[in-house]
Amino acid sequence: MGLTADERWGLVDAIAQRTVAFGISRQTTGDVLGELTVKPLTGIPTALAVLYAFWSIFGSFAGVLVTDGFMIKLFDGYWLPWMQAAWPDPGSVHYFLFVGDPAAETCFEAFGMLTSGLFVSFGVVLPAIFVFYLMMTLLEDSGYLPRLAVLMDTLLHKIGLHGYAIVPAILGLGCNVPAVTATRTLETKKQRFIMMTLLALFIPCGAQLGIMLQVVPDTVGWVLLYLLIGFVVFGYVLSRVIPGSNPEILIDVPPYRWPQRANVAKKLWNKTRGFLTNAVPFVMLGILIVNILYLTGFIGWLADLAAPLFVTWFGVPKETVGPLLAAFLRKDLAVAQLSTIPMTSYQMITAVVLISIYFPCVATFAMMVREGPRQLLAAIGVLAAVVLIYGGLIHAVGILLGVA
Amino acid sequence: MHDHHDRLTILMMGNPNVGKSALFNRLTGANAVVSNYPGTTVDVTKGYLRKDRHSYEIIDVPGAYSLEARDAAEEVAVRILDTHPDAVIMVVLDATRVERGLYLALEVIERGAPCILALNMMDVAQDKQIAVDAAEMQRVLGIPVVATTAISAEGVKHLADMIRKAQVADLSAIRSRLNGQEPDQGAVARCAGCGGGGCR
Amino acid sequence: MEAPCRGAELVTAAVGLAAVACGAANILVWAGLYDGIEIGIMAIGGPDFFRWVWGSLVVVFGGVMMLAGARQMHAVPGYGKVLLGVAMIGIIGGTDIFALICENIPAGEGAQFFNSATGFIGAFAPPYPPAVVLLPFALVIGCALYAGRADDGC
Repeated sequence: MGLTADERWGLVDAIAQRTVAFGISRQTTGDVLGELTVKPLTGIPTALAVLYAFWSIFGSFAGVLVTDGFMIKLFDGYWLPWMQAAWPDPGSVHYFLFVGDPAAETCFEAFGMLTSGLFVSFGVVLPAIFVFYLMMTLLEDSGYLPRLAVLMDTLLHKIGLHGYAIVPAILGLGCNVPAVTATRTLETKKQRFIMMTLLALFIPCGAQLGIMLQVVPDTVGWVLLYLLIGFVVFGYVLSRVIPGSNPEILIDVPPYRWPQRANVAKKLWNKTRGFLTNAVPFVMLGILIVNILYLTGFIGWLADLAAPLFVTWFGVPKETVGPLLAAFLRKDLAVAQLSTIPMTSYQMITAVVLISIYFPCVATFAMMVREGPRQLLAAIGVLAAVVLIYGGLIHAVGILLGVA
Repeated sequence: MHDHHDRLTILMMGNPNVGKSALFNRLTGANAVVSNYPGTTVDVTKGYLRKDRHSYEIIDVPGAYSLEARDAAEEVAVRILDTHPDAVIMVVLDATRVERGLYLALEVIERGAPCILALNMMDVAQDKQIAVDAAEMQRVLGIPVVATTAISAEGVKHLADMIRKAQVADLSAIRSRLNGQEPDQGAVARCAGCGGGGCR
Repeated sequence: MEAPCRGAELVTAAVGLAAVACGAANILVWAGLYDGIEIGIMAIGGPDFFRWVWGSLVVVFGGVMMLAGARQMHAVPGYGKVLLGVAMIGIIGGTDIFALICENIPAGEGAQFFNSATGFIGAFAPPYPPAVVLLPFALVIGCALYAGRADDGC
């Protein structure tokens, strides 16, 4: 009803003057640490320490303790042999769909719904995302996340994204689906489009990280490096090419708080339940579809068709077509399937990077449709171009290094 | 004022990261996601509260700094406000950053909707030696002002009691009260009944 | 209270210096300048790049932070730096111990699932990486500092 912003602020000041009194405040420990963790000189070492802790605990708990320590023994030593023996007639279609390869020695190779499907879901990805979400929740609730965003601001500035844009990206490391929704906090269409595209392309999700750590532990570092470089390079290009304004985003850094145990437990349970109800069926479905496509000869046909592109341009075996199809449903499944294809370690790096970038998984895709169908078309165009260019570039780098 | 058996809609509005979702969960027992960074809520969450004979539908609105929407989350906030013209607005303030919250509160007040104000994060304000006089704010604004700490559920029950006392505030009355006059006896008297010693 | 405070500063500086030295030594060994070194219960050098170099880098930074804050650790800026340095060394030491625990709960190759109790405890025999050796010292300083600030001591 016609107050100008200035008049309103005048009124605000008058009210505040009447009602708010500031005492002599001593800086609390949280304030002191809060300040030190955003200043680059002390903040960057802190970020290095936090990332170390994140990765170390992730690897120790999910990889070493649960999967290597117990799940592999359980599935490969007991479950797989039992299934192979108990399921009737090994030559049949249903045996192939549910149990997979009768001669397989590990649950990765078998690739049946009840062997690989259960193993990937519960043996590898569940422990990985559980511990990942736990640490993510601690970062969210303590208030460290926005501080990380402030630190990254300097780097992101160069590629035309500002400060807060990194929060969706960090959330995307847990799962891309909520990250796509989180781009709503960005101001302009341009910013949202860039961030959504970069998310879909270069941010691997927790499930994918977990399985990568398990099946290709030596190449994870390289894959992440390539994804990071891709993020920066294509972010830079997109921010130059896409029309629209890109205003500064101011970050409100909240005070540090001790995460509340009840809240952490609740979020952890919600996210884990989300995985069990949404992701596990997709892993199963993915195996079923890929197996059927194998049986009908579609994948063989597609592999031959795409062979020139895959072998000459990307430098990976044509068999990677199958995993790439599976990647549309679940990226973790695709990486698991990839690990059974014989190839050199550089080909493996290329293939894993391709799986990450080539298309968002179906859940992320659905979320992107909801957020803006028209932009999605543009995003897919960008996606196709980036996959072709970047896949070729990685191959070229490999040739230059003499490893491809 | 309104039929007590009707279900009243309450919109919870406020700046990002003032604890709207935490307060929302406390009021409704719902499961809205709570984090310590601005912009956690980007969508609409609904919950229900029964208090005495009243039944309320409470909507957790994404955080906004002002009603001139600048990002998609703020657009959602303004849209919800527009589609619920009869709703009571519960403006949630961060007691350590009262000013920017008041700015939004005034914008809401200008729209003429019945309002109630929750002064959240009183625990942090206390740690920072910031004293906010809720009773005085209530007197000046002419709407119920309740001090709360969502994390420990302090003041939440009182807030729930106060929802039905929500008032339409009058800007000119606020102005004259700020100037030391007490013109608008009606509104003040009506609100005096709701405040009492309860509003710490 | 002058004397004990001075002492606390010296202890903090010493631990900080030790952290810088150990961390730097670790990185030098990785860079191939020296072979692995064992000093008492501490082993310098390790199997993988991540724990070895990245972790050591953080230990060095933590040590530098403690050194920088030691001189005025009873005032606000120094206090924060020391606490942050302690936290960084604590993070590396803590996660290293956590890794050790995770490695040794399951049995190694074989039919059994769980490690034997003696096998589990045996895995915690020295030598330790530097961050683990520094951990108790850092923790003592951190706790004393935090408690001291809470009741305004020193």
